[in-house]
Amino acid sequence: MHLPFRRTHSLRRLAIGALAATVTAVALAGCGSTGGGSADGVTKITLSMQNADVKTADPATWAIVQAFQKANPDIEVEVSGEAVADHLQKLSIAAQSDTLPDVFWIYKANAEEMFSAGKIMDLTSTLDDLGLTEKFPASTVSNFSQEDKVFGVPYQGLLTGLWVNEKILSDNGLEKPTTFDELLTVAKTLNAKGIPTISNGANQSAFSVWSFLTDLDRFGYSDKIEGILDGSESFNNPDFLTLYEHIAELRDAGAFASNVSTQTYQQAVDQFTSGKAAMLDSGVWASSAIQESSIASDVSFWQGPQFADGVGEQNIIMNVASAPLAVSAKVSGDQTKLAAVTKFIDFYYSDAAQQILVDNGQPPVTTYTPTIDATTQSALKSALDAAAAPGVTSPESQPDLLVSTPVANAMYDSIYGVIQNQLTPEEALDLVQKAIDAE
Amino acid sequence: MTWISSRWKIALMIAPAAILFSLFVIYPVLYSLGYSFTKFQGFSAPEFIGFDNYVALGSDPFFWIALQNTVIILVVSIVLLVPSSFALALLLRTAIRGAGALRALVFGPAIIAPILVGLIWVFILDPKIGLLNRLLAIFGASPVQWIGGDTLTPYMISIVFIWSSIGFAMTIFYAGLQLLPQDVMEASSLDGASSWQQLRLITIPMMKETFGIVTILMITNVFKIFELVYMLTGGGPVHRSETLVSYMYFVTFTNQQYGYGMAIAVIVTLLGAAASIGYLALARGKKEQEA
Amino acid sequence: MSSILKDRHLVPPSEYAAEPPAPRTRSKVKRVGFWVGALAYLVTFLIVLPLFWIVLLSFQPSGNILSNPFDLSQLTLDNYINAISQLPLLTMYGNTILIALISVTVGTAVSFTAAFALTRMIFRRKKLQSALRYYLLAGLAVPVYILLFPVYRLDLALGVFGTYAALILPYIAVSIPFNTLLLTGFLREFPGEIEEAAIIDGAGLFRLCWSVVLPLMRPVIATVLIFNVVYIFNEFPFASILINNPDLVTVSLAVSRFQGQYSVDYGGMMAAATLVLVPQLVIYAIFQRHVIAGMTVGAVKG
Repeated sequence: MHLPFRRTHSLRRLAIGALAATVTAVALAGCGSTGGGSADGVTKITLSMQNADVKTADPATWAIVQAFQKANPDIEVEVSGEAVADHLQKLSIAAQSDTLPDVFWIYKANAEEMFSAGKIMDLTSTLDDLGLTEKFPASTVSNFSQEDKVFGVPYQGLLTGLWVNEKILSDNGLEKPTTFDELLTVAKTLNAKGIPTISNGANQSAFSVWSFLTDLDRFGYSDKIEGILDGSESFNNPDFLTLYEHIAELRDAGAFASNVSTQTYQQAVDQFTSGKAAMLDSGVWASSAIQESSIASDVSFWQGPQFADGVGEQNIIMNVASAPLAVSAKVSGDQTKLAAVTKFIDFYYSDAAQQILVDNGQPPVTTYTPTIDATTQSALKSALDAAAAPGVTSPESQPDLLVSTPVANAMYDSIYGVIQNQLTPEEALDLVQKAIDAE
Repeated sequence: MTWISSRWKIALMIAPAAILFSLFVIYPVLYSLGYSFTKFQGFSAPEFIGFDNYVALGSDPFFWIALQNTVIILVVSIVLLVPSSFALALLLRTAIRGAGALRALVFGPAIIAPILVGLIWVFILDPKIGLLNRLLAIFGASPVQWIGGDTLTPYMISIVFIWSSIGFAMTIFYAGLQLLPQDVMEASSLDGASSWQQLRLITIPMMKETFGIVTILMITNVFKIFELVYMLTGGGPVHRSETLVSYMYFVTFTNQQYGYGMAIAVIVTLLGAAASIGYLALARGKKEQEA
Repeated sequence: MSSILKDRHLVPPSEYAAEPPAPRTRSKVKRVGFWVGALAYLVTFLIVLPLFWIVLLSFQPSGNILSNPFDLSQLTLDNYINAISQLPLLTMYGNTILIALISVTVGTAVSFTAAFALTRMIFRRKKLQSALRYYLLAGLAVPVYILLFPVYRLDLALGVFGTYAALILPYIAVSIPFNTLLLTGFLREFPGEIEEAAIIDGAGLFRLCWSVVLPLMRPVIATVLIFNVVYIFNEFPFASILINNPDLVTVSLAVSRFQGQYSVDYGGMMAAATLVLVPQLVIYAIFQRHVIAGMTVGAVKG
């Protein structure tokens, strides 16, 4: 650490009394600054993610970055990250101050706002040049486009549902359910033995309601949402009410853990992987944790229940692109940086990198068909098989990704509100409607 | 004193603090006050909407729940914390063996980062994995929903807040006790005043300023409680256990309603200031009554 | 009696401060019974109990923490090994100590001079004096989240972003209200004759503050220092926004890294908490002597 005393020279005259100390503090501080230049021919790009510790929390991204740097020694990717709320807060502040990182994870709704405000780059021509547009599923490209301009590229896949511990079911004389009524029977039977059916946790993780979001699509969400947002229809409609009443039935049947309101998502995962709950409401990202646990061989993936009184197609699975990665608009003005970022994008969607995703328990986001080991990656394989099963289809997007953040949060609250017996189904639906009205 | 108090000397003494404080506290507050009059979602341009955010607070049930919880925590904490920390300072000032070590230990909780304080108490209060209910189970009692239920959470937050602040308050009282003139104390005990009389008639009246300091610090700290709630319940179930600042955090950073969040922050600031001024007015009124 | 007091002030301050306080402490505090001592130990034990709980959990394997925390058969050092290997110990302590040292020294110094002026110096307009005091105290009511965004922009505008000053400046500023409350509160009760004696003795403003008042305020200054150091060790919101260079991470920032979005290493956090706690308790124990040393002050007030 060098202390740049020269900075204090011009100020020394001013430094009398207590002022001296203040000035020294400012000057001393100078030693922390580091420039982000490319003096030795190495181009540096910054990648900012939604996990505090990317290396352990998001090993797939970490491994891709390492492989990319190995293949491109002239490019250095500086990875940083904070937990979602802190990450978004930082990005928001950075966007206002024009200090955005080069590439970053961001919610789709925020990316759209930033794109309209010219803060992030139009990636259409980059993707066309790289021939990537054809490699993505069509729904991914349309999902991340605004008036035919692409503002983001898919980060990872969002393949969600319920992980099922089949041993707990068979030990209690039960079979893996298909319909909601069967699920309800499972819940009642297990509750009598003191076992929670669905493990989830609302503390600091109100968003952990993935399987119920898919259920919304089993009650016509994708057809209704446009009308709900433009005011021609209400969120509090008879179909959604039916679903929410079913959630209340599950709750009354004792399907959820007694400490669901103080438990965090991580504790819910722990509850499941230690064999204390029959199902886990989660997604494909949990496959690594499951694989490492002692219950790995008992676990299979389930797309969720089919409802006899549902609306439209019931044989659906949520398999969509999650939040996008976006590129700061400033990158397009810097040719070396732009070249480096283009190379990074090209690499991220190469078959090699997509296989790295799979090796780290993530589904590929391109149309690439990966190789999966049936024993060491049994959980992931079960999920990918479920997604590729004949006759099953996926909605275009997950319900919460189609609305603004406050409405999405109200949606999570409404579902947990019923699960925790804090809201009646009507009150829960009104809570979401109120958030929509406030827009 | 007069000749030493020339105008430029006074200015020189106050200026560094006043400038730093104005630049890094007051200016930011005014800046955020400006945002509280806008609709600002964090990523698009702010849009001026006048007092709409403040009006919206009136019909936001979660805001009122948060306010109610904060008031409960305020009353429970202040009523219990101020006398008990003073008593503790008196107790640890007596000539017991190892009083210094005891003081350091009592201060222990005050050193722990609030987020860790929350985490520790999760392992004590959680209805399923917590220490308390495990102990109750040993005695065959049925589990209590200490946190995460409908009613007990704010009281439990008060308890945890008291635990994490008692060493802090005790230390201030202790420093205040150290500044008391010993000759007065000695004289009074020679006069045959009992310990209780000495405490009531001499120590407490002379500690008025210290009581004021502790009470105001605790009031303003209660208005800032955030991490405890965040760790214990995340504000749930469905925002039922939010405090003002935890709800502000949810609105600002989770919901990304920056303008609305700043409106809540402004209200929190005003309430904290009002409660402190209210206390000062009360204390002064009492003083004048006595005089 | 007051003449004796004044004589004491004519002793050069250095010698005065060095006067041993020990003999007085025992005699003036009343002898207490067994039960008072027992009560003190009991209360302390109850307060400390949750701390034992963290220490116990910090030795538990992660699998036990949620399911079986009382199991003493599998205690392990793994969490410590894990925490120590993952925490940039040298960097985080180095940074935090440097930041704390500068912020606390400057913060206490500027607060002390301001508090002295606001309580002991004579203003032509009394109202201005009390208005200035309330102005500084108003900061007590401000929640930190209101400051984050503007302070970030301020740091950028001043060109200090990415340096230690980015944190030091706001840390000083937010400590001023608390310091002012404590210092003005205690300075108000400070006996005037001591100053008069010093002035008659020919002391200037600087000597009056530095050599006469400051030493007598030791218990309060020590309290202020302790609280400010604790605040900076635990401060998270500012650090998370204003530090984006891994070389500048502070203790609280590094510890928070244990808490990711989809993985929480509770055992590691407990071990890290213990690692952070112990040095701070030591700091408190050291400063505490100064709080006790202040007992002599009582003898001169009258």
